[in-house]
Amino acid sequence: MWRPMKNSTILEMRGVHKSFGAVVALDDVSLQLNSKEIHGLLGGNGAGKTTLMNILYGLYRPDAGEVSLHGEKVEIQSPRDAIRHGIGMVHQHFLQIDNFTVTQNIVLGTLPKNRPTLNLVQEEKRIRGLSEKFGLEVNPRALIENLPMGVRQKVEILKALYRGIVILILDEPTTSLTPQEVDSLFQSLRAMVEEGMSVVFITHKLREVLSVCDRISVLRDGKNVLTVQRDEASEETLVKGMVGEELDIEKSVLFSTSGLDQKALQVGQKPVLQVEGLQVASEEGGLSVKDCSFQVREKEILGIAGVAGNGQRALAESLISIRPIAEGHVWIDDTSIANTKTRSLLEAGVTYIPEDRLHDGFLPTANVAQNLILGSHRQKPYSQGRFLDWKAIFQAARNLISEHNIKTLGPGEVAANLSGGNIQRVMLARAFSRPAKLLVAHNPTRGLDIPSTEFVYSKLLERKKHGMATLLLSEDLDELLLLCDRIATIYRGEVVGILERSEFDKYEIGRMMSGVKTRE
Amino acid sequence: MSERAMELSHGVKIGVGRLTPYLLAVVASFAAAGIFIAAMGFDVPKAYVTILFTSFRTPSGIVQTLLKFVPLLLQALAFTVPLSAGKFNIGGEGQLIVGAIGATAVGILFAGLPALLLLPMVILAGILFGAFWAAIPAWLLYRFNINEILTTVLMNFVSFSLIDYVATKVWRDPAAGHPTTVPIGAGGELPLLIARPPLNMGIILAVFIAAAVYIYVSRTVAGYELVATGANPRASMVYGIDVRKMFLLSLILGGALAGLSGAIEVAGIQHRLIEGLQSNYLLLGIIIGLIAKGNNLAVPFVAFFIAVLEVGASAMQRTMMIPVEMVFIVEALILLFVLLSDVVRRR
Amino acid sequence: MGQFEIQIVNFARLVMLALVPYVLASQGTMLGGRTGIFNVAQEGIMLVGASVGFLGAYLYGNLFYGLLLAMLVGGLVGLALAYFTTTLKMNQFVIGLALFFFCLGLSTLLYKFVIGVSLQPPLIPTLQGVPIPGLSQIPILGDILFNQNWLVYIAILLSIFLYYLLYKTSIGLELRAVGENPMAADSLGVNVALMRYTTAIVGGALIGLAGAYLPMVYTGTFTAGIVRGRGWLAIALTFFGGWSPHLIFLGSLFFAGIEVLSFRVQVVGLGIPYQFLLMLPYVATILVMVFAFKWVRVPAFLGQNYDRERRTLA
Repeated sequence: MWRPMKNSTILEMRGVHKSFGAVVALDDVSLQLNSKEIHGLLGGNGAGKTTLMNILYGLYRPDAGEVSLHGEKVEIQSPRDAIRHGIGMVHQHFLQIDNFTVTQNIVLGTLPKNRPTLNLVQEEKRIRGLSEKFGLEVNPRALIENLPMGVRQKVEILKALYRGIVILILDEPTTSLTPQEVDSLFQSLRAMVEEGMSVVFITHKLREVLSVCDRISVLRDGKNVLTVQRDEASEETLVKGMVGEELDIEKSVLFSTSGLDQKALQVGQKPVLQVEGLQVASEEGGLSVKDCSFQVREKEILGIAGVAGNGQRALAESLISIRPIAEGHVWIDDTSIANTKTRSLLEAGVTYIPEDRLHDGFLPTANVAQNLILGSHRQKPYSQGRFLDWKAIFQAARNLISEHNIKTLGPGEVAANLSGGNIQRVMLARAFSRPAKLLVAHNPTRGLDIPSTEFVYSKLLERKKHGMATLLLSEDLDELLLLCDRIATIYRGEVVGILERSEFDKYEIGRMMSGVKTRE
Repeated sequence: MSERAMELSHGVKIGVGRLTPYLLAVVASFAAAGIFIAAMGFDVPKAYVTILFTSFRTPSGIVQTLLKFVPLLLQALAFTVPLSAGKFNIGGEGQLIVGAIGATAVGILFAGLPALLLLPMVILAGILFGAFWAAIPAWLLYRFNINEILTTVLMNFVSFSLIDYVATKVWRDPAAGHPTTVPIGAGGELPLLIARPPLNMGIILAVFIAAAVYIYVSRTVAGYELVATGANPRASMVYGIDVRKMFLLSLILGGALAGLSGAIEVAGIQHRLIEGLQSNYLLLGIIIGLIAKGNNLAVPFVAFFIAVLEVGASAMQRTMMIPVEMVFIVEALILLFVLLSDVVRRR
Repeated sequence: MGQFEIQIVNFARLVMLALVPYVLASQGTMLGGRTGIFNVAQEGIMLVGASVGFLGAYLYGNLFYGLLLAMLVGGLVGLALAYFTTTLKMNQFVIGLALFFFCLGLSTLLYKFVIGVSLQPPLIPTLQGVPIPGLSQIPILGDILFNQNWLVYIAILLSIFLYYLLYKTSIGLELRAVGENPMAADSLGVNVALMRYTTAIVGGALIGLAGAYLPMVYTGTFTAGIVRGRGWLAIALTFFGGWSPHLIFLGSLFFAGIEVLSFRVQVVGLGIPYQFLLMLPYVATILVMVFAFKWVRVPAFLGQNYDRERRTLA
């Protein structure tokens, strides 16, 4: 058992169990947090990190287990209780009201009920004070919907600081930040710890925990497998903790230290996707994509790096005709897609993996088979003329289910009954079920557990070797650096630089992500 | 369950075990109503028997039930087809009425034509007029994204005025006390299957159409796109389905079905347009559609059951003076209990 | 005052009278909608409110008791709506329709049960005007605005109060937050369920009150067709008013105006068959919605239930 050294344990969670229906999310998990400590909670997606913290924050009720603060047992039934005990949480998807101001978002829930006016001058002052103290600059009067991600995160953190919390939980805070913003965040965290706070830092990124955390706990499959001091931890031990025995680390794409093999690095000559001067309108008027030009060749993976909200979605959607092209040209295999419908593009061999796989790709009330054929339902062998061939569909579905290891009762099962992880597998099975000459993938591994992430990477590389061109839009810079032949960076709808693999530099890309143009 | 069975009924499997919540719902609703009936001072067992068995006591009862079954079945489908695309068609009433107006108009204007020509024209007119009445809210949805619940309902009210106008001004039958038109040509009448008591061929038509609807939704590409649209319109759009066209199509189909029910009422039963012919078919149709949870296979069975209840209700009001609304409340309660049983099952 | 002026004043008075059910029903819908509950049962709640209001007034000889009873029943339906949607997480439209059916049957059943079948329908006295001393003496305006029954005054005051509540108080801020992003509100300690229940119940009571107004002002008796679609029109009105109390009030003036117009023009005898005039409110509403749906900002979580522990889209 690990013993506290100079700092004392302020928070302890013991024996926490949590199941959602048949799925066990947490199995007898314990965690200790010391004062003035940044504690990393590391694990792949689905390991249980967010669930554990949601329990601490009162959003979930545990099936078993207890929480004690400063040695005394506490009952946390709702976020209100958590806040009262000095615990605050910044979620992965910011919980903000778009059409309220920064101040309104921060003070929501803190004002006395019988307060007659909404004059928030005093509150604003206090927010400005906190802002300066911890290096989190915001404009209290701005409307949330107009703010970029990095600033919105600062608002989330200020929400917790405003309430005088002592323990701050951050869930995957660096997802939408440039490398420079990440550094700035870490500085703010250090400042908070100096002031006496403790931080729980949830992430799946190895290198982050090693750079900013004092102690690290690793969760895998709902269990706490390892807790180490930073100086005692190495990449190897942490990786072993995260994946256990299920993955052969040497053969894995994610964790191998030897890089991609020669064949995977080969690039073809013929351009499959050509984009020139692309402009795409945004919903509010103005342009989401202002001027994009690039090419993707056969056997090539071109990455699009950028912070969320710089036009990636508009770009991806315009390439498959979900959004209209305002100006410019797009050619796939030398044919303009100007007036081509999505359906035709899909039939011609373009595959799309949307960023929000559930919202943009999942049919909950339909069965597994119906989900698997979405987008290809008009093609043989799924249909003949006007009628569907259910026999062929179910047969194909059964093959996909076994190939992709989807846990389900069968093609006829209602898709909503599947667990989250299996639903993702269905979405991926669909994406890789048909041959494709161009894949447009937007954050394809976000939210996936480690084995699924491995699967996606290996599929991408396998198809690449067979000739497929891939446009990989991702906010995970590490992913891009690992897989891509070239990386283009998008900022405010424009491509601001394209780097070859030999030139990859994390901080240079970070600068481009912030709009600093260093190359033509 | 074998995989083959799953393949055959891709969607909802109807096993005996799954009927239990429905039976419980019926029992619970009857029990609740029974309390009310007893409180009003009436004979509860007699009421139950009247409601449930009047349909089967006499040939007249059976025919009555079948005659009611037809519009209920079609109204329910008029609701479930748009529902499978995620849209709520509350305008079945107006679509029935306008369909009936169209059928009557053709039947009166071309009264001289022989049955071979007139009958199909009358039926077709009903379908087209009903489809048109639904096309207006459908187009408003397509073009302006206006919620169809409101527009379809408002069109109902407009149709009330329309039928009043037609029945009291345009083709008014001066001899009738209640707003009614002159009869349609004899060629427009649906032939009878049984003469006494009169059962028209509408039922064959309706069952045929119901089967066609089922096949359409579950086996065609268009039907798949409809279902996908209802399950997740955004995802369907991303994967190439013209979602807005699906909304349009589903509502127009719903209108066509409701229009057909109007045409059958005119051509099969009254042979003229009578104000109020829509009865409470819309409400019951929606209740049926919801109890059947949008499953087109279950709809005919639920519709038949409701038809039985309705026949029993009027008998009960006639013979025992218990208001028909009592049965309507039972039907609404059945719906509520069925919906609740879903919640219980989820836990 | 000339003949024309008298016509205008009469028209305005009638508009103020007709205004009340629209205002009450729409504000009730708005309240629920602001926390995310999309009530579609208004037509049924108004009908049962009319029925219960009439019966209450008839049985106790006092209009006030009728109104109170209608509010109680409306509140109960609101409670049911909140329970089924917020606690049991059932589909809001489907539950709304189910409640609508239930209220439909209940309203006529209760009437038949209490009154039975009679050739001469019993009547209750109608709501009297209550002139406000001093203000009602103002020429023209005084008669229109300050010489009405007290429900008219309540409708006006209610709208002002709701505007103030929603935009100028901290409770209003929390209420709006619940409808925009319940997860955010919940994570900050706002009691989402309590907000939803409260607005649904109060909203239901207002809608029931709107229904009770009808027999007490227009006909003096209850018939199955007394609501005439106003419940549905209230939904359109709420959209048209951008889910804001002040705009809803203005929109109600418009809807009331159309309603009065459709009746008045019949009387004036313009040669248009009266059936087409009766269509006017509904057609006008449809046209209005074409404009409303373009620029109206709807609470983001309207119609969606909130489940803290929801893990997937299903």
